[in-house]
Amino acid sequence: MTAVRRLQLLALAALPLTSCADHQSVLNPRGPEALQLAQLSWFLFAVCTFVLVVVVVAAAAAIRGPAGARAMLASPRAVVWAGIVFPAVTLTGLLICGVWLTRAAAVPADEPGALRITVVGEQWWWRVHYPHPGGTVATANEIRIPAGRTLVFALQSADVIHSFWVPNLGGKVDMIPGRTTYLRLRAAEPGVFRGQCAEFCGGPHGLMALRVVVLPPSQFEAWLEAQTRVAAEPSSPATRRGRDLFVAAGCGACHTIRGTPATGVVGPDLTHLGSRLSVGVDTSPVTQANIARFIRDGQHVKPGNLMPPFRIFAADDLDAIAVYLAGLQ
Amino acid sequence: MTTAAPGRLATMAVWTLASMAGLALALFLFAWSGLYNVAASRGHWAVVEWLLAFGMRNSVELRAMPIRAPALDDPDLVKLGAAHFHGGCAFCHGAPGIPVSPIAQQMLPPPPELATSMRPWKDEEIFWIVQHGIKYTGMPGWVALERADEIWAVVAFLKRMPQMSASSYSELALGSVRSASQDGKALATVESDPQSTGACARCHGAEADGPTSALVPRLHGQPAEFLATSLRDYASGIRRSGIMQPLAAPLDSEDIRRLADYYARLSPLKQHAAAPDKSLLERGQQLATVGDPANGVPACNTCHGREALARYPRLAGQSALYMTGQLQLWRAGHQASTDGGAIMAPIAQRLSDRDIAAVTAYLASVAADPAATGRP
Repeated sequence: MTAVRRLQLLALAALPLTSCADHQSVLNPRGPEALQLAQLSWFLFAVCTFVLVVVVVAAAAAIRGPAGARAMLASPRAVVWAGIVFPAVTLTGLLICGVWLTRAAAVPADEPGALRITVVGEQWWWRVHYPHPGGTVATANEIRIPAGRTLVFALQSADVIHSFWVPNLGGKVDMIPGRTTYLRLRAAEPGVFRGQCAEFCGGPHGLMALRVVVLPPSQFEAWLEAQTRVAAEPSSPATRRGRDLFVAAGCGACHTIRGTPATGVVGPDLTHLGSRLSVGVDTSPVTQANIARFIRDGQHVKPGNLMPPFRIFAADDLDAIAVYLAGLQ
Repeated sequence: MTTAAPGRLATMAVWTLASMAGLALALFLFAWSGLYNVAASRGHWAVVEWLLAFGMRNSVELRAMPIRAPALDDPDLVKLGAAHFHGGCAFCHGAPGIPVSPIAQQMLPPPPELATSMRPWKDEEIFWIVQHGIKYTGMPGWVALERADEIWAVVAFLKRMPQMSASSYSELALGSVRSASQDGKALATVESDPQSTGACARCHGAEADGPTSALVPRLHGQPAEFLATSLRDYASGIRRSGIMQPLAAPLDSEDIRRLADYYARLSPLKQHAAAPDKSLLERGQQLATVGDPANGVPACNTCHGREALARYPRLAGQSALYMTGQLQLWRAGHQASTDGGAIMAPIAQRLSDRDIAAVTAYLASVAADPAATGRP
């Protein structure tokens, strides 16, 4: 294999990395906490590279070097200084540096002025609640946040251990059943980032992703206000039929659409499904066709998810439900 | 061993192979010649018959070894088994008051008349025979092999049959159905089955009569769309049942529609008395009305209440034993191939045994909605 060919292969192997370079990458920090983590990573990387070079040079000298160098490396003094004192000092230094750099993320859970968002990890999706004096704001698999404001995420789990991780914005924090963990972070500017459950949680763990949409503060307030409203009354005969079918088919046993008899809490709240970016936990964009496909054939879209397949609907009934849901802005 | 041994062994091997090949050729030529008489009317030589029966007994005994029989003295089980036996087995095996058909008597071997001369099989052995049938005898296997619950009903009945009078048999097998005596013209011109084997009411009841066995669902007042879908699924074998598939398969789509409409228009039967266990009923009510969200269990009534789609069955007042059986089937991974079963199977798998007992006891004790009657 020629060197050129080897390089080509290496470049090819690295291709998947470039696909996350933008919206799901620790190397592209978009907030102060993420920046600190990136700086810490680079610093650690530099120190480790330095240590590696020293070790390789010392090993080479110990095998092939002049007799004087070999004797020096074998002396008790070298073992004490290079084998005990140097690692102890370096590691202590790195620890201090790490604690110093990540101090900002250590959480006062009740920081005044911070926006508090509860995220519950469930098999295999994210339940999201916003505190709001105007009413409940419940969404799923998508978190909208204002740029520049400090956020405190209260992280919980409904079943097994999950891990909340949005690499562009901050570190990884486990969601542990029976307790609440916290993550404080800030997004510097508007953008859309991708998060991913980072602790294997069974079945479709790999598809347990979420979107974080960072909005300018005024847009965020408008969005939050819109989310507190109950679902709009269907305005066309098709959407009315969709709503009636949704209720009669028992969808409300698991899903809530505020303002209708559907009040289930087993699955995600669908009150404003049409305003979200994706259906089936970030597996496909919110369109009428994708909603219909998930209802009928969700086990192929996201294998192992807890929603049974609803193949009972005639094609036009399924379309009516999908039209209704896609229109829930 | 002497030095000549390898040569002798080789010679022996060649001879053995040659004689085996010769035997196979002779057998083939015998079959090819057509000299063997396959006539059922001729019977077997006594030695062949003994050998076949001997082999069958040992095979059944060996294969039934891992099977364990459940309790079989439940009258509901006996009734269900009797009703199926009447339509599926009595033609060949007879029943109290019903002789073996003369046509079946000419089979080889002739099917045993089970009411009077059943071999003393163990329960597990009967189960195995009913499930798998027996080669070369005409005894068929069960239509839905995985429905052990149905097969045990037949076994429970077979154990009782030898002590049964003709009248008590007909009460079990026919339920509320009474074949009216027909005049000569009717007998001569109307296609009718004097044994009423296809009558739904033998098991499910009709008019004001309910099912004979609590293992049989109550169809009175169920939505017609649900009933028709179930019959179609049974007929095509998507919904697996050795009892229902043979009965539904001959129905055409008009028959199915008329039957579904008939039962949909009947007034719901009176609900069962509530179980005495208060905490069980409370848990059942909770599951039926709000579900158990922490375990992913939605409320039953959202889909099975009065306002739900006509595609779903109504469960208020349904037999607790029947619902338990269905939930257990789903939990064991059966019946998930129908569109309705695909929805219910994952939900049933999230229920514990106590949840199943609670929710079925509660639903059975709720009065069915009389307004549902007659809804298409």
